[in-house]
Amino acid sequence: PFGFLRNVIGGKKIQKEDVSKVKSVLSQHLIKKNVAPNVANSLISEIEKELVGSTTASFTSVEETARKSLERQLIKLLTPNSSIDLLNEIQEKVGNKEGPYVISVVGVNGVGKSTNLSKLAYWFLQNNYRVLITACDTFRSGAVEQLRTHVNNLSNLSPEKHQIELFEGGYGGSDLVAKIATGAIVYAKQHNFDIVLLDTAGRRHNDAHLMTPLASFARAANPDKIIMVGEALVGTDSVLQAKNFDKAFGANRRLDFFIVSKCDTVGDMIGSMVNMVFATGIPILFVGTGQTYTDLRTLSVNWAVNTLMS
Amino acid sequence: MVLADLGRRINSAVSEVTRSSVVDSNVVDNMLKEISNALVEADVNIRLVISMRKKLKTKIESEDKPGINKKKIIQKAVFDELCELVDCGGAQVFKPKRKQANVLMMVGLQGAGKTTTCTKLAVYYQRRGYKVGLVCADTFRAGAFDQLKQNATKARIPYYGSYTEVDPVTVAADGVDKFKKEKFEIIIVDTSGRHRQEKDLFEEMVQIEDAIKPDETIMVLDASIGQAAESQARAFKESSNFGAIILTKMDGHAKGGGAISAVAATNTPIAFIGTGEHIQDLESFTAKQFVSKLLGIGDIQGLMEH
Ligand SMILES: Nc1nc2c(ncn2[C@@H]2O[C@H](COP(=O)(O)OP(=O)(O)OP(=O)(O)O)[C@@H](O)[C@H]2O)c(=O)[nH]1
Ligand SMILES: Nc1nc2c(ncn2[C@@H]2O[C@H](COP(=O)(O)OP(=O)(O)OP(=O)(O)O)[C@@H](O)[C@H]2O)c(=O)[nH]1
Ligand SMILES: [Mg+2]
Ligand SMILES: [Mg+2]
Repeated sequence: PFGFLRNVIGGKKIQKEDVSKVKSVLSQHLIKKNVAPNVANSLISEIEKELVGSTTASFTSVEETARKSLERQLIKLLTPNSSIDLLNEIQEKVGNKEGPYVISVVGVNGVGKSTNLSKLAYWFLQNNYRVLITACDTFRSGAVEQLRTHVNNLSNLSPEKHQIELFEGGYGGSDLVAKIATGAIVYAKQHNFDIVLLDTAGRRHNDAHLMTPLASFARAANPDKIIMVGEALVGTDSVLQAKNFDKAFGANRRLDFFIVSKCDTVGDMIGSMVNMVFATGIPILFVGTGQTYTDLRTLSVNWAVNTLMS
Repeated sequence: MVLADLGRRINSAVSEVTRSSVVDSNVVDNMLKEISNALVEADVNIRLVISMRKKLKTKIESEDKPGINKKKIIQKAVFDELCELVDCGGAQVFKPKRKQANVLMMVGLQGAGKTTTCTKLAVYYQRRGYKVGLVCADTFRAGAFDQLKQNATKARIPYYGSYTEVDPVTVAADGVDKFKKEKFEIIIVDTSGRHRQEKDLFEEMVQIEDAIKPDETIMVLDASIGQAAESQARAFKESSNFGAIILTKMDGHAKGGGAISAVAATNTPIAFIGTGEHIQDLESFTAKQFVSKLLGIGDIQGLMEH
């Protein structure tokens, strides 16, 4: 898509004007991939800073140099700062008998929280942990039954029937939510569950009535990890979704990870993950790539960047 | 409405022009650029924005004759162009007929809000005196039938579904049959979420459609969808030929630009918008009203009188 810019080859000192044309081409390219315009522009002004005044390598056009620079930026952005070894962390806590490892998922409506929570459960079961799924979505119709169905399915797929159970407290208001969460953790201790997975109701990130209870929920349940599920389908709103969930837990608590769901539904338009990470610096734990339990993958940064650049 | 943000920007771009003493092509270009940016940031498909910008420019230039108020022309052109973007040439949305069965089938991407919208729509028609029934033909999603059942029970709408039958085609056909025999006037069929990348899922949708012959298929679209809206909507259109769109989650922060691109790409009108998680959170949709709201009613009043 950048063909028409192939002009100067090698050894050219790059001026601001050289970059300006490349800038708009690259930015449009990213926007087509579902990167939010302001994120695209920020990434590209970084490139401008890097390039202006530098000299193109031999046999390399300004355009090619800019592309390379963008590619490096994206790789840097999507590569987590420290390695993510969740299983190891869980093993430490569980091995030291410090109680169950508690993970909660949060996110806006319909993004795939409950489904990807069930995929996480499947992964933990495969690693021989005992998992307690907890129905803290006490609002949406059928939310409890949805999890019950998953627990039944997962129980049938497990080597041992009682490796997974559902903890539920029916439907009701937000006071009920914290009660169910803390109840589940006590139950898990008593019955030797290694991992407690807390599902929560979908909520609009711009509604204080719905976002405020998240902080007290997190205080009550004190999860080891809070994971935001965000979907690949969402457009520019992904920036604010990530920001608002990241700051929903008060000054001393942030999101730990993202799961980016529905990556199988967007083709090469995978920009929403760029938006989420750019907005918060929170790393991606997994990407969701389908509706079955095995459709949970570690993000290949190479694949993602190639897809974004292609 | 959160669209206000987009509306404000477009509005201020237009009034920037109307305030400046000379309206030359430079001023117009700046306005077009600002409007385009606002639309792209609202997720409107970037190609759509580029072509709209060209059309606007031509329109404004061609009507630029001496003695004609250029500012009025610009205001009206922007209003009309935005309307056209969401209006699809004034295509009519489906009107159910009394005293006969009207079968409505809901389709869409995963998690768009189909099941929730089914009950909202049922309530909408029930309040207008229709005899309405709901059919759950989603046999895939965990807890789908319970979700519909609990919603329907709350809203006192008769429903049909099965915990044991795994074939959605069978459930759909059985449910529609039953309600037809009982002289229901509106029968709303909920289906599983699906996406164009999975052929089998689309085939299933076509099979359900063949079995129940809906009078109207409705695509349910999440207002926060981004650039993928267009290709998904096109694919749904090709396979299901839906005749109306319902935009959900308009109470959220997103501005619905992606969904508007889907409207444009499929030339299919928006019938309703969903504005919350509760049963009554459904509003009917008209393009003029939508754009008026977008730009702030007051400014538009004058335009409408022309
Ligand atoms: N194609 C695809 N579909 C997915 C993926 N993850 C979830 N889904 C589907 O998305 C829909 C919504 O999933 P849920 O898990 O119910 O979403 P949620 O966030 O819990 O929804 P609420 O609790 O209502 O806010 C379901 O139809 C899932 O099967 C994914 O990675 N790919
Ligand atoms: N805020 C808001 N939430 C909505 C609206 N419509 C639906 N939702 C929520 O969006 C989520 C998904 O809605 P569903 O009706 O389950 O979506 P679906 O399309 O049936 O999902 P699948 O059957 O899994 O494909 C739920 O949490 C709903 O409460 C709306 O207009 N506004
Ligand atoms: Mg859920
Ligand atoms: Mg549904």
